[in-house]
Amino acid sequence: MDFLNALVALTNFVLIPAMTYGSQLALGALGVTLVYGILRFSNFAHGDTMAFGTMSVIIFTWLFQSMGISLHPLPTALIAIPFGIAVTALLMLGTDRVVYRFYRAQKAKPVIVVMVSLGVMFIYNGLTRFILGADEQRFMDGERFIMRARDFKEMTGLREGLAFKTTQGLTIITAVIVVIALFWFLNKTRTGKSMRAFSDNEDLALLSGINPERVVMVTWLIVAALVTIAGTLYGLDKSYKPFTYFQLLLPIFAAAIVGGLGSPVGAIAGGFVIAFSEVAVTYAWKKVVTYALPEGLAPSSLLQFMATEYKFAVSFMILVIVLLIKPTGIFKGKAV
Amino acid sequence: MSDNPYQHDRGNKDRSLGNPDGMGTMDTTKKSGPTSQTSGEPFLIGANMTGGYGRGGPDILHDCTIAVEKGEIAVIVGPNGAGKSTAMKATFGMLNLREGHVTLDGVDITNLTPQDRVGKGMGFVPQTSNIFTSMSVEENLEMGAFIRTDDFSETMEQVYDLFPILREKRNQPAGELSGGQRQQVAVGRALMTQPKVLLLDEPTAGVSPIVMDELFDRIIEVARSGISILMVEQNAKQALEIADKGYVLVQGANAHTGTGKSLMADPEVRASFLGG
Repeated sequence: MDFLNALVALTNFVLIPAMTYGSQLALGALGVTLVYGILRFSNFAHGDTMAFGTMSVIIFTWLFQSMGISLHPLPTALIAIPFGIAVTALLMLGTDRVVYRFYRAQKAKPVIVVMVSLGVMFIYNGLTRFILGADEQRFMDGERFIMRARDFKEMTGLREGLAFKTTQGLTIITAVIVVIALFWFLNKTRTGKSMRAFSDNEDLALLSGINPERVVMVTWLIVAALVTIAGTLYGLDKSYKPFTYFQLLLPIFAAAIVGGLGSPVGAIAGGFVIAFSEVAVTYAWKKVVTYALPEGLAPSSLLQFMATEYKFAVSFMILVIVLLIKPTGIFKGKAV
Repeated sequence: MSDNPYQHDRGNKDRSLGNPDGMGTMDTTKKSGPTSQTSGEPFLIGANMTGGYGRGGPDILHDCTIAVEKGEIAVIVGPNGAGKSTAMKATFGMLNLREGHVTLDGVDITNLTPQDRVGKGMGFVPQTSNIFTSMSVEENLEMGAFIRTDDFSETMEQVYDLFPILREKRNQPAGELSGGQRQQVAVGRALMTQPKVLLLDEPTAGVSPIVMDELFDRIIEVARSGISILMVEQNAKQALEIADKGYVLVQGANAHTGTGKSLMADPEVRASFLGG
C-alpha cells in the first residue's frame, strides 16, 4: 500500500486534468446559460462561436509573434485575447442586428429562435473554415510547464511524478477570475441587475425604463468574452480544431442543463460534474488502485470503464439521467 | 392564437430549448415617434382611443376617453371584458391606436414607446407579474429607479415609510412574499421613478379584504402627495368611494362618466354594476 503515490497519481491523471477541463466547460456553460436566461433560447451556435473567437485569437497571436511581441514565459495568446474578444463581439452584434433582432421584433417563440441559431451555427462554421481552414492549429508558446514530472520526483523522492502545465494553471486561474468578475457584475452593478430583471420579467423591465436592446447588447458582449476566453484556454491546453469545438457543444450543454439552465452557479457546478465524470470514466484506474490496495490484490485489468473515444457518451448519459430524475438541474434552473 | 407564424410552437413542451418564463409581449425594437405640445387638456388624457392589440388585431376600444387631473384619483370600472385594462394600457402605449391621442402634461405622447413614457413621468403597475420574483425587495425598488441618475435613497425611504413591512423584508426575494406584500412591492417599484401619474391595474386583485382597505388607504396617501392615479378596479363600490372621477366602460366604450359620488348615486350604474 502506498497512499502517497496513489494520491499523486490521482492528482496527476484525474484531478488536475478534470479541474482544467471543468473550468473550460464552466466558462462555456456560463455563456449558454446567460443566453438561455436572458435571450431565452438555447444557442446552438455556441460551439462554433467559440471556434470563431479562438480563431481570431490565433490570428492575432501569429501577428504578435511575427512582430516579436511576447509575454514569455506566458503564452502570447494572452495579449491576443482582448483583440479576439473585440472581433467576436463585432460578429455577434452584427449577427444580432441582421438575424436575431428580426425574430425579437416578431416575438418569435424560443423554439423558432433555436432553429435560427442552428442556421447561424452553419454560417459561423463555414466562416471559420473559410478563414483559417479545418485543420488543427497550434499556437501555444512560452514555458510549457509550471512543474515537470521529473522535477517533482527529484524534489519529493516519490515514484510517481506530478506535472502541472502552464496552460492548466492559466485555465484554472483565469476561470476563477472571470467567474468572480461575472458574478460581481450580475449581482452588484446596475447593468448587471437590469440583466437579471430582464431575465426575470421582460415586460416589467421595460416598464421600469430598462432598455431591452441595451440588455441584449451587453449580453452578447459578455458571451463574446466568455466564449473567446473559454475557446482560447481550451485551444492552448489541448489543441485548436474547428470540429472539436463544434463537438464541445454537447458537454457544454450537458453542463448547463445538469447545473440548471439559466443558473450561473449551476453552469459552473455542471461543468465540473461533467468534466470529472468524463475523466473518471475514461481513465484507466489500474495504477492508482495498485498503489492504494495491499500488495497481491493488484488488479490485472486496466480498470478503464470506457475508452476515451466514447467520452461524449458520458455527457449524454448524465444528461439523460438528470433530465429523467431532476429536470430542473442541481441548482433549480428554469428548464423542465 | 395569433396569425404570426413565428409565434407558433404548438405541442412544444421542451423547455431545455427555450425559456418562455417572463417572456415579453411588447415589441422591444420599436422606436419612439415625435412628440408635440398641446394645451388646454387634462393632465393625462387618452382621448377618443380606438384600437386593439397586435398588428391586425380586432378593435377592443371604440372611441374611448379616459382622463385624470393632477393629484386626483380616477377609477375605471365596468363588467368583465369591457376593456378596462386595455383602456389603461392604451394610455401607456401598450397597444396600437388607430385613432385618438394621448397627452401628458401638455405634451402629445401618442407616438412614444412605453419605456419612453416612463421617462416622461408615467408609472404602471400591471395586474399580474408585477414584481421581479427572483430579486430581493430592495433590488425590485432599485430597478424601479433604473432611469434615475440622481440619488434615490430618499425615495426608497419614502416607499419604506409608506409600506413599513417592505423595510423588514428588504433582503428577501420578492417572490417569497404574500399577495398583499407583493402588491406593495409592485406599487413601491412604480413609485421609485417619482412618476407624475401612476397607473394601477387592479391593485387589490387576490388580496384579503383587510389588506385591500389598507392598500386603498395607501393609494389615497400617494394621491395626496400630488401624484395622479388612474386605476382599474373590480371592487367598484370601494373604488368609486375614493375616486374623484369614475369611468364606467362597456364593450370598449364610455358608458357613464362622472365624479365617484355621482356614479354611486346613479340608479342605472348601481343597478348594472354595483349590485343594486
